[in-house]
Amino acid sequence: MENKVKIARVTLGLTQQELAEKVGVTRQTISLIEKGRYNPTLKLCLEICYAVNQTLDEVFWQERKE
Amino acid sequence: MEKIKDERLQLKNLKNIRITFIVQTLGILGILLYDLINYGMDGMTNNPVWFVFILTGVINAYLSMSISVEHEKTKRSPVTRLYISLGVITLISLLFVTFTALTNGYNVMDGLLVGGIVFVCLVLPAFYMYGLRQKERDE
Repeated sequence: MENKVKIARVTLGLTQQELAEKVGVTRQTISLIEKGRYNPTLKLCLEICYAVNQTLDEVFWQERKE
Repeated sequence: MEKIKDERLQLKNLKNIRITFIVQTLGILGILLYDLINYGMDGMTNNPVWFVFILTGVINAYLSMSISVEHEKTKRSPVTRLYISLGVITLISLLFVTFTALTNGYNVMDGLLVGGIVFVCLVLPAFYMYGLRQKERDE
């Protein structure tokens, strides 16, 4: 699933490791989320949003593909 | 060992456990098949592994019931379904009582015993399903 986690993280100047520690997961999980190769649960999505001070809409929203 | 908090790793762990379970079940089936070939049906059922296999089968069946209940599409009330189940179970138990009692070497008491065991074995899952349906309805 495409998302803007990497943009949000880099904007705040956080490394993958730092974001991972903030949300309580491993660095690999953050890496896979950024690549769109792992779909996080809503709970983890919210944790990431809290960590990067953005809303779910801003980080995870996608327009429906036709 | 530290407790895993990462949801992705927890999911991966569950998938690993599934693979382990498959291998373990294949191993158990292999052992039971070996016993069946070499020592016959009694030899197989005397092995404690047979008890483990049956127990896991029963647990799996009970756990699957909660999934089946949520997958049901019928709108019939749980009470009606329980009454239907109890009717069918009573009928099946009575058939067991009759056929056992009519078999040579067995009497009515044996029939009642077999019928009673069948009744209890079938009535427990019926009430369990009823409980699950009621719970699902309340949600």
